[in-house]
Amino acid sequence: MATLELINIVKKFGDFTAVDNVNLRVEEGEFVTLLGPSGCGKSTLLNMTAGLEDVTSGEIHINGKKVNELGPFERDVAMVFQNYALYPHMTVEENIGFSLQLRKRPKNEVRDKVQKVAEMLELDKLMHRLPRELSGGQQQRVAIGRAVIREPSIFLFDEPFSNLDAALRLKTRGEIKELHQRLGVTSIFVTHDQEEALSLSDQIAVLRLGHLEQYGTPEEVYLKPASKYVARFIGTPQMDFFVGEFVSRDGLCYQMGAASIPLPDSIKVPNTPVDVGVRAEFVTLGSTGFDAVIRLVQPVGPFTYVTVDWQGGSVTARVNGVSHMKPKQNIKVEINPEGLLFFDRNTEKRMDLL
Amino acid sequence: MFRRFLTRFFLRFGLAAFTLLALGPVVWAVVTSLLPLSSLTARPIDLNPANITIENYILVLDSSRGLFSGLINSFIIALFTSAVGLVIGSMAAYALARLNMPNSNRILMMILATQMFPGIVIVIPLFLVMSRTRLVDTHFGLIIVYLSFILPIVIWILKGFFESVPMELERAAAVDGASPLQTFRYIVLPISLPPLFATGVFAFIEAWNEFFFAIILTRIHVKTASIAIAEFSGQYQTLYGQMLASAVLASIPVVALAIIFRRFILEGFVEGAIKA
Repeated sequence: MATLELINIVKKFGDFTAVDNVNLRVEEGEFVTLLGPSGCGKSTLLNMTAGLEDVTSGEIHINGKKVNELGPFERDVAMVFQNYALYPHMTVEENIGFSLQLRKRPKNEVRDKVQKVAEMLELDKLMHRLPRELSGGQQQRVAIGRAVIREPSIFLFDEPFSNLDAALRLKTRGEIKELHQRLGVTSIFVTHDQEEALSLSDQIAVLRLGHLEQYGTPEEVYLKPASKYVARFIGTPQMDFFVGEFVSRDGLCYQMGAASIPLPDSIKVPNTPVDVGVRAEFVTLGSTGFDAVIRLVQPVGPFTYVTVDWQGGSVTARVNGVSHMKPKQNIKVEINPEGLLFFDRNTEKRMDLL
Repeated sequence: MFRRFLTRFFLRFGLAAFTLLALGPVVWAVVTSLLPLSSLTARPIDLNPANITIENYILVLDSSRGLFSGLINSFIIALFTSAVGLVIGSMAAYALARLNMPNSNRILMMILATQMFPGIVIVIPLFLVMSRTRLVDTHFGLIIVYLSFILPIVIWILKGFFESVPMELERAAAVDGASPLQTFRYIVLPISLPPLFATGVFAFIEAWNEFFFAIILTRIHVKTASIAIAEFSGQYQTLYGQMLASAVLASIPVVALAIIFRRFILEGFVEGAIKA
């Protein structure tokens, strides 16, 4: 187990800055996700942590010790790759035991350890198969086994689920979480899937074009996103934004096209223009609120997402269960002011106005 | 229906024509080698199967005729050329494909540039250099010369293959604690066996069949099989039967190699196209 610290990490490929001054501290035993769309620098950051790529500047510390000059093995990290990178000419047993074999450990020690890991991952019946004779999920477990047997101080996962189908992805996600709970090894996980990040992590680092946009717990990034970018990236369905203005009629309101949301008077109205964001679970459709017309009804099982329009605006509401609302139907919309998030229109940063 | 018939017709016709073109000379060589000179010089050629004889084979295998020692020389030279070519070539190719060396593109272009001179242009200076270094008519000399044109091909073919080995495999090995040399030895080499075999067989065949440099750079001791065969064509007569018997004998190792490693050669040359 170990702590990991990234200090002012910069990575340039020629003129292109892939990672721009990232600072990150991972505590012992934490599960941290690097989250962002492709090209945000998350994999580069992971590769630099692993020692597979050099940093252009900045320092990487593991357990308080600078490891910039060390190779991946000396850093005592183990990595699970996106396409698993299993050695195609080796059996499951040889794949898992390769790192021990390189260190010339006695044969029976290697066999015992491989056996233990294989049992834990339910691979013990597949020991003599080659990777190409395994299913995707089994290959994935071999890749994890190869990492686990090292008993590393840090696990690195590079989008390990992206080659699995949806059902298997959910199952493996649970397995990884259990593995982390059992072994308690500090883990860094790279993904572009916000749901994966929310469900697995102790901390999420949201990256944007090489910058660290926000670093916080899943709760923080979901409920208190640092910027519009984070708010947009996290959560399903995507957060809705309104470009309107504060007005004072019978009390303070936020006016967006023909509709307006009443606000508590305690809000400190700033001088800069403000956008408002709201998630679907804070929007109620029914007989109170402002008028709108239903445009889209999307049932997803436990909920139905209903998108409504009014003159100058649109929002998606989450309705429990299967809804029998129909497009073009008139309805009233109420937005709970507690769910409102305020963003500076110019900087796109979130503002605390309540 | 008609289209399928047409496709099949043309496919079969094409394959038949190709087979005929490719095998025709071979069949003719075998037939010729089994007939006495008198049948071959008769007009029209006397193909009476009653005349079939293995006399030509017995004659050419007589040790005084040079073919036997030629085959041995060819074998030594081809074996060393392909073995050394593979060892040096695979390491060079891996370095050029993966080690991020400065100027590796320039090095590659230079390697390719050495192939742009026709043999006839370099053979005279080459002969002078070889004779000053006393390498004319030695196995070693011929091996070096063959390596000079086989290595670039080996390097280019293998570099292409090594580049198709997924980067993440090597990264996984690095994370597992393998040094670059160990990665090459335990990961890259084993999964590269098919292309290595294919390239090795290719190098062997090139060296085995080479004629031009061999005839200029050898005199007595290191005559290769191809030269021994050519020597059946004399100033006053050509011993076609013996010449072709020798040719048939000389092609046996090459054909055997191709058959034994057929699976590897096929895999080797399609490997790059599919994901490893």
